[in-house]
Amino acid sequence: MTIKKLLKIDLQGLVMLGIVIAMKIILGRFSFGPAIVKVGLGFIGSVMLGYLFGPIWGAVGGCISDLVSSALFGNQGGFFIGFTLTAMAGPFIYGLFFYQKPVKIWRIIVATLLVTLIVNIGMNTLWVHFLYGMNLKAALIQRAPKELIVPWIQMFIDYFVLQAISRVKIKK
Amino acid sequence: MSKILIGRYVPGNSLVYKMDPRGKLLVTILFIFIIFLANNWVTYAIITIFSFLAVAATKLKAKVFWDGVKPLIWLILFTSVLQLFFTTGGQIYWNWIIFTISSYGITNAIYIFIRFTLIILISTVMTVTTMPLEIADAMEWILTPLKYVKVPIDKIALVMSIALRFVPTLFDETLKIMNAQRSRGADFNNGGLIKRAKAITPLLVPLFINSLETAVDLSTAMESRGYRDGANRTRYRILKWSKYDLYELAYFIILVLLLLVFRTK
Repeated sequence: MTIKKLLKIDLQGLVMLGIVIAMKIILGRFSFGPAIVKVGLGFIGSVMLGYLFGPIWGAVGGCISDLVSSALFGNQGGFFIGFTLTAMAGPFIYGLFFYQKPVKIWRIIVATLLVTLIVNIGMNTLWVHFLYGMNLKAALIQRAPKELIVPWIQMFIDYFVLQAISRVKIKK
Repeated sequence: MSKILIGRYVPGNSLVYKMDPRGKLLVTILFIFIIFLANNWVTYAIITIFSFLAVAATKLKAKVFWDGVKPLIWLILFTSVLQLFFTTGGQIYWNWIIFTISSYGITNAIYIFIRFTLIILISTVMTVTTMPLEIADAMEWILTPLKYVKVPIDKIALVMSIALRFVPTLFDETLKIMNAQRSRGADFNNGGLIKRAKAITPLLVPLFINSLETAVDLSTAMESRGYRDGANRTRYRILKWSKYDLYELAYFIILVLLLLVFRTK
């Protein structure tokens, strides 16, 4: 797939992008699971952005979703460009794995693990380190328990969501 | 839940409200970077006083700001405590396997606590005194220089305003769909992991189909009203700088100068 093809988007696509971003923001406000491990649903929005719009527009969508949700709800932990980059990286990786490709279990597993490793463990820890001057080891220890459990739950949900959305796409 | 519709904006009429959102956003973003300039007790005291000046200038009740910090208070405390145990150096007071409490650790933990709280306070000042639409306009203005590296800013601005406009609408839609599915026996809060993951589908699919339909309708409506991609358009909502923004500029410059003078080299 050429870059030029990935960059192309029509008005309907743009409007859809705006609405999917709104969906991502709303899903991000919901979470489920027992109190110990709350799983936010924002990642479903990232998966949808990547799956529907590809890595480039998906990343743009991630960026806008971060900006708009900060405008609406304020960014927990302050406005910081790093977290915007984080929001872009997730849909980008999902886009590389899911965009215009059949839904496969290995894709979901690899993409989710990559996002967890690069985005949640790598980038976010780095930002916390920069932002609050926190010790890297301490930041990792704080994050580890959640990131060991949550990805596996996300994979389950991703599978059902992608199957459901691909059904809708065919019907269109 | 109705909070979601208006965002975090709290109406008011103080000085901070009259400032241009672009200035406020810039100061908020830069605040995170200048907080790094603080590296001793004096500079941390200065930046704390300045932050509370900004908070006081909004003339809002303390509860508004407490609500901003409250959801993160455990995270802040936990982070500070971890920092306390994992920083070594200086005089060591207590040591157990990997945990150490040292003089460096204690100061660092307190610094992190202050940093965390101040960043949240200043961000709260921004979001509480500015309407979401104004913040979005300010963000668009800040992104404008990206035009020169061929980023399609007009498209991004369009997507941004559509997203902002549809968050409340889709939120209502989501609640409606959830209630509709519940009335027919759907259960979003119980059952095992797989069951709950599956329960998200009857929520997402209708929402997604609705969004597709809205996108088709809205883009048709826009085109029939003469929206052409890439055509030059005028602006209806315009932001204006005013004399109040000079106070903000002075605030920021004085803060940076004080920090530069008093920080340890």
